[in-house]
Amino acid sequence: MNTFLKVTLADFRESVRAKWFLLYSLVFGGAVILLFVLGITEARVMGFTGLSRLLITYIQLCVAVLPILILISTVRSVVGDRESNILEYFLSMPISLGAYFWGKIVSRFFLIFIPISAALLGGIVWGMMKSLAIPWQIAGYYALFLGTLSWCFLGLGMVISTLVKKQEWGLGLSILIWLILLLFIDVILIGLMLQQQIKESVIVAVSLLNPIMVFRAGAVLLFDPELTSMGPASYVILDNMGYGGFLAFTILYPLSLGWLFSWLGFSRFKKGDLV
Amino acid sequence: MIEIKNLTKKFGKIPILDGINLSVQTGDRVALIGPNGAGKTTLIRTILGQYIFDGKVSVFNKNPRRHRVEILDRIGYVPQLPPPIQMNVGELVKFSAGISRKSSEDAIYQKAAELGLDIGKNVKKPFQRLSGGMKQKLLIALALGRQPDILVMDEPAANLDPQGRQAFFLQLIRSMENITMLLSSHRVDEIINLINRIVEVDYGKIVQDERIDQSHFADQILACRVTLTKNHEAAIRMLKDWGFMNVNGGPEFEGSFIGAERLRFFTSISHFANHIQKLNIN
Repeated sequence: MNTFLKVTLADFRESVRAKWFLLYSLVFGGAVILLFVLGITEARVMGFTGLSRLLITYIQLCVAVLPILILISTVRSVVGDRESNILEYFLSMPISLGAYFWGKIVSRFFLIFIPISAALLGGIVWGMMKSLAIPWQIAGYYALFLGTLSWCFLGLGMVISTLVKKQEWGLGLSILIWLILLLFIDVILIGLMLQQQIKESVIVAVSLLNPIMVFRAGAVLLFDPELTSMGPASYVILDNMGYGGFLAFTILYPLSLGWLFSWLGFSRFKKGDLV
Repeated sequence: MIEIKNLTKKFGKIPILDGINLSVQTGDRVALIGPNGAGKTTLIRTILGQYIFDGKVSVFNKNPRRHRVEILDRIGYVPQLPPPIQMNVGELVKFSAGISRKSSEDAIYQKAAELGLDIGKNVKKPFQRLSGGMKQKLLIALALGRQPDILVMDEPAANLDPQGRQAFFLQLIRSMENITMLLSSHRVDEIINLINRIVEVDYGKIVQDERIDQSHFADQILACRVTLTKNHEAAIRMLKDWGFMNVNGGPEFEGSFIGAERLRFFTSISHFANHIQKLNIN
């Protein structure tokens, strides 16, 4: 086994015992159980029912909490290891910086993705047991969206973690970024639209820089191919990209952004003081 | 082995290391001493390739930052404070043995046993749950198990009990001929018999660099008998801490320590000089 795999496995084992992972798993596992218990599959609001209804609610929940949970748990990875002298110890071993950094990212990705996809899978299994119709294609795309969103915010968390000197600064910065991204979804963009001082296409373009918005729009697109629930913005999006193009964009954009952030984080990590 | 020329390391605008020049050759056993904040740990971390720096540093004729992996494969490092690792003991041993080319799990188990730590009994225990002394013994065993050419240690015996210290110093003495050592310590009396050179760092500069004679009986066990004037409670506690046993119920105590620890023993016993009637060392 090469060093990269050893580091990935070691970090996985380390993190799986951490309290944040337990909390994180409970949030997503608990959420799906709660949705079933509350009878969300029976609800008919917005015209959806059964497992589709549950998946929409689950994905909306993920939009709200997944980015911040990923950021909070990831920003502590490098800076936390630095503060606790774990980094000093492990980097006194013959481990390349690439193996350390990318091993950590890959391990964290699986740690983040396993509970959310397990919760999704749990929902499907429960649905099968209750003889509900299973929207396989949508569930598959949702798993993909959750994977790309996780990768994107994991990369962002890692770059913040390499930039800050203290965990508190990293946590503060994460919350600030998350709030800005959430505000940009609705409050700020709707405000700009109402003022009618900026071209609509510019506002839509800016909103589509926001990975949380892209995730949400992608999730809506699967149920609402005309994006009618997004109002006039749907014309700008679908006229320019089309259904297939926009669907591809919602997958590829967060993925690319995640790679870019991770690469920036690694560049910063290997050039500066390691501890 | 280690060549340092005009090394300067600043944090912000403050120089922590200020124009350091140092050459460490094979067989050198260097005590890096100095007060807190003098720059000892920064110097060690620079040698380990963990800091960027101004000046020239080469370890085995290579830049420690550019050739980290090759260099670190030949260095064993024991930190001052055990890091809060969540892995269990078995996993940590396996990881460390797998990372280093010359290390093996058997070698680590053996080194730990020589230090008085049975890894087999603690293999499932999380590293975090070990006592301070056990953690330190394991970290030392992990470093020695790599059969390093250079052993770098930051206050290595700080958390060890007297038996652990004795075993640790014996281990080091046995390894002396093969290993170049760099030991950081606040107290030179603890390590005086292990080393053959003292480098004192203060305010980021080397203020003293002296070679000293090697001890000829550092690895010998010295038998000792102490007779107190009366049963003085604190003196007895100190002697028991050193593993001494009471003889015939009176104020007489017998025990032993290794030559490498004799200065530390004298320092301990000197606090009770008024209560000592007789002292025999063989």
